[in-house]
Amino acid sequence: MTHEEIPSALIWLALAVPGLPLISSLVCFLISKKFNWTIPLLSSILLIAATACSTILFFQLHNQSVIQSWPWLAIQNKIIHAGFLLDSISLSMSLAVAWVSMLVHFFSIGYMAEDRAPDRYFGMLGFFTFAMLGLVMSSNLLITFFFWELVGFSSYRLIGHWYEKPAAANASTKAFLINRIGDLGFLIALMILWNWFGHLDINNFNFSAVPTEILTAAGLCIFIAVIGKSAQFPLLHWLPDAMEGPTPVSALIHAATMVAAGVFLLVRISPLFTESALLVISGIGAFTAVIGAVGALFQYDIKKILAYSTISQLGFMVMAIGAGAAQGGYLHLLHHAFFKAGLFLGAGAIIHALHQATHHSKNNYDVQDIRNMGGLRKKLPVTFITFLIFGAALAGLPFTSGFISKEIILSQMSLWAGTDVSGKWVIMIAAWAVTFLTPIYIFKLIWFVFFKESKQETELQDIPVIMKMPLIILSILSLALLLPTFDFHFFSTVNVILNYFPEASISITIISLAVISFALIFSYLHYRKSTPGKLSSFLSPQYYLDIVSDKAVFLLSILYTITNWIDKHIIDQIIHLFTYLQVTIAHLAGWTDRVFIDGAVNGAAYSAKGIGAVARIMINGKIQSYLLWAMAALLIFILWILY
Amino acid sequence: MSHLLSYLIFIPFVGALVALLIPANRINFFKQLTLGVSIIQLILLVLILSAYKINAGVQLAENIPWITLQLGSWGSLHAEYFVAIDGLSLPMVALSVVIMAIAVISSWNIEKNHKGYFTLLLILNGAIIGSFCALDFLLFYVFFEFMLLPMYFLIGIWGGPRREYASIKFFLYTLLGSIFILIVLVASYLSIKDPATSNEVVHTLNVLHMQNPDNIIPGSLLDVDTEDQYGPYSFRMWAFLLLFIGFAIKLPAVPLHTWLPDAHVEAPTAISVILAALLLKFGGYGLLRFAYPIFPDGAIEFAWMVGFVGVLSIIYGALNALASKDLKRLIAYSSVSHMGFVLLGVASATAEGAGGAVYQMFSHGIISAMLFLIAGVLYDRTHDRLIANYSGLASKMKSYTAFVLIAFFASMGLPGFAGFIGEVLVFFGAFQSHAINGLIPIWMPIVATSGLLLGAGYFLWTIQRMFYGPYSIRIHVPELTDINSREYIMLLPLAVAALLFGILPQLLMKYINPFASEWVEELFKHASFFNP
Repeated sequence: MTHEEIPSALIWLALAVPGLPLISSLVCFLISKKFNWTIPLLSSILLIAATACSTILFFQLHNQSVIQSWPWLAIQNKIIHAGFLLDSISLSMSLAVAWVSMLVHFFSIGYMAEDRAPDRYFGMLGFFTFAMLGLVMSSNLLITFFFWELVGFSSYRLIGHWYEKPAAANASTKAFLINRIGDLGFLIALMILWNWFGHLDINNFNFSAVPTEILTAAGLCIFIAVIGKSAQFPLLHWLPDAMEGPTPVSALIHAATMVAAGVFLLVRISPLFTESALLVISGIGAFTAVIGAVGALFQYDIKKILAYSTISQLGFMVMAIGAGAAQGGYLHLLHHAFFKAGLFLGAGAIIHALHQATHHSKNNYDVQDIRNMGGLRKKLPVTFITFLIFGAALAGLPFTSGFISKEIILSQMSLWAGTDVSGKWVIMIAAWAVTFLTPIYIFKLIWFVFFKESKQETELQDIPVIMKMPLIILSILSLALLLPTFDFHFFSTVNVILNYFPEASISITIISLAVISFALIFSYLHYRKSTPGKLSSFLSPQYYLDIVSDKAVFLLSILYTITNWIDKHIIDQIIHLFTYLQVTIAHLAGWTDRVFIDGAVNGAAYSAKGIGAVARIMINGKIQSYLLWAMAALLIFILWILY
Repeated sequence: MSHLLSYLIFIPFVGALVALLIPANRINFFKQLTLGVSIIQLILLVLILSAYKINAGVQLAENIPWITLQLGSWGSLHAEYFVAIDGLSLPMVALSVVIMAIAVISSWNIEKNHKGYFTLLLILNGAIIGSFCALDFLLFYVFFEFMLLPMYFLIGIWGGPRREYASIKFFLYTLLGSIFILIVLVASYLSIKDPATSNEVVHTLNVLHMQNPDNIIPGSLLDVDTEDQYGPYSFRMWAFLLLFIGFAIKLPAVPLHTWLPDAHVEAPTAISVILAALLLKFGGYGLLRFAYPIFPDGAIEFAWMVGFVGVLSIIYGALNALASKDLKRLIAYSSVSHMGFVLLGVASATAEGAGGAVYQMFSHGIISAMLFLIAGVLYDRTHDRLIANYSGLASKMKSYTAFVLIAFFASMGLPGFAGFIGEVLVFFGAFQSHAINGLIPIWMPIVATSGLLLGAGYFLWTIQRMFYGPYSIRIHVPELTDINSREYIMLLPLAVAALLFGILPQLLMKYINPFASEWVEELFKHASFFNP
């Protein structure tokens, strides 16, 4: 595909989209502590501006594909460019990121009102938004990787926002390290591509010239990165722990945007993935989707349920992309961003309200445990209604956005799986299983929180308007019904670009509706009477993966104990041995010096002294003895001459 | 012809001379003198940068005959005072000037014998810059050895409790390396002639002449056609190995690294900074300047080994950093790990690898200086460096924690910081090597990536243990204070530099790139002379 340059007027607009959140971040960090109270306001205003820019850009460049890049790093004659590649994929994604981020900023004004460090919080939130937009809009894979790591960093900082809590500190470290494993895959993929092409411009890759095995290797390495970032099996256990962060952060980063970056990357460089790579991708995605959904069934922490749901949904998208339903998968990514952000913000609203209540009444219980909730539909009406809409979108009920994307995925996948029984059917079955399980766990969540009778008698205050507004906007964005003016759907441009629109098959729709209705009826009958059970960790995938991680850390600790021992007891000992050897030789030399050389010298001196002593006897001042010696000498001389 | 480089080299020596003439009780004078010298050097650096022409190769040269000896039938020896800079030495010189200035600021609270300390610091300053500029092997060697003495005393007198052990260990290790280099120096002297004089053999140690295989005297020790084998290799190969070991000790590469953690732990903060930021660079600098260009055939023969030692250093250093309980020891081992990337990049003999190695040396200079300054800030307050004794510092020392985060994340190669550029280029180069020149296998860069994971591991673990969690420290000290303005002045420029060269790599790469491209080209051109 050839790309035109960005019209010069729009370059500034494109720069403003990631630039304004960056400015927001800098303002938050540099502003004097006295004006901390202005931070939420300032950063929200800047985010509104960024979102406006992103929206204008989206409509200005509607259905276009443009690129603008500048040299960033030159080595030999190869150049790494930094720039924007704006097509409907990056435009729609950046639109979603900007909107969700803006709404999360609004929500945070209320949610984080009592926090001690708004500078750190809003600063990192702005920085994350900047990095995420940079990742999405970048025209070069190295720059994408650049931002890929930066979003990981901001995620680390935001999970650890309340770092005094050991659990939060732990979770942040875990999240970053597990993500790093994936990042190494990305790096290796970059090496392969650099080696082959000598550049990393996304729009200039000519994959058809590359041997299949190299392409597969590069694709699978990229997929390792996706596994890390999008919490796929086996690197998913950081995500439930990441719920230690503030809830709006979970909504923005760990539901809507950052974790979706992996899926985004799969779409961004989709030509890279060969047949065999795609099969692996869909297999891992399907497995993750199922275990995530099962994990969500057996959780009672409201945020953890949603975290598992996110894992499951991300797996669903990854599976779809691997199974020939890239359009559907990507569309689902955008829809999911809105309804899952909504679910998390709803959960945040509930936690906020309950937290306030327990704070005032001194009646302490775990405000995130859904077994402690109940009957909230009357106390938090706005939250209740919006939550219902988000839940419906997640479950894939008609008239919601989730319904549309799921229908597309299922129908595209059924074409892919074909009518003959093959291995692909396993993946298809997994897709249906997820379709069945999703309504059950979300029904359970809603039932426990809003319908069941409350055990805790607490006076609840409704949440402030600033927190209601994002919920309402997100719920509108989660409804397909209200957007008829944009032919079929707001994001149908995606389909235009990908130049393919799937025939939504009626039979698939009927079957999926039946499955969902059955799931809902089943869960109503099941949860209506049931008393909440105990948390069963054996059914959560995290339990097993944590064991594996612990074992890996244990092995590592053995390894570093060994290397430390080698350093101290082998290398240093050899050095010491050499030193001792040297010192010994030196002593030996010293001894030789003293005994032999000095001995010889002293011997010479002593002998001189002895001879001198003898001579001194001779020189006694008596003429007679001198005469005697002279005579003796003369005698010896004569004798010597004669013989 | 300007004498900018000579001024840069000799102003510290003049300063040292002045310092010796001043009575020892005028403590502030010595501080101001040393700082003044650094400021003059910074101004000179700006002049040098403005005079420097990109793509013009070796420049700002000053070449004066230094030693001329008639040696009868051996011909005659010419050693020159030959200083100049190119794309390799310019970043190193710039780094040296900046780091020395910061080291002076961080030495402000030295407690004893100021006269001796600052005099030695000035001598060290001149010697470091001199060795980075010298293009005569003998001149380099003289400056190189000259660094050893002040370093030995600076650790041995102003160091921590085990300073004597550490300084002697440092001295002996480095001296061993120097002896190896000296052997090669003597052999080169015997084997290389000045091309300018054709009728009479004039021996020279001019590095530019040494790099040209045409100047090797036929039948001499370093001649490639010589039949003499010493064990498995010819003398040329041994010479390469000797140089490699000599510079690997300096780098330091595993298993010749154990002097480094001890020296760092015992050295005062400023000396740790100079040691990590500048002295280690002579390892990589020596390989790039002497070992590889003079013995390209050895470089190709032993590429696998050099690469392997690099990968080993990366992983082994990182594992030992994980095992360290002492903050400074951890940082010292992280240096071992990071300098392994330099070896890997050099071994690949690609433009990416060589350029990345130089970039990595520069960025490590900035970042490791920051890391040691940070360790020093805490040590100044508590006189304790054990990681386990601290918890929750983030809630007490906010600005300090911000700098720690910047330094740690810069060091673990987060994009946006200079370390990332060097590492990525090294990886690209090392991976390409297999396809371009077949020198090192592709598993090396792939295995080396695990160093990034381990790097994140030990730094994040340290942050979690020392800075996160509830505040408590197990040492009896009065209230911990956040960093003061002097500490700001020394940390902030480094943080800004680490960011600047990470976001706009071309600022530095435009100097390095011509050097790296030419270096690779010459290397293979000369290598083909030896292996036609």
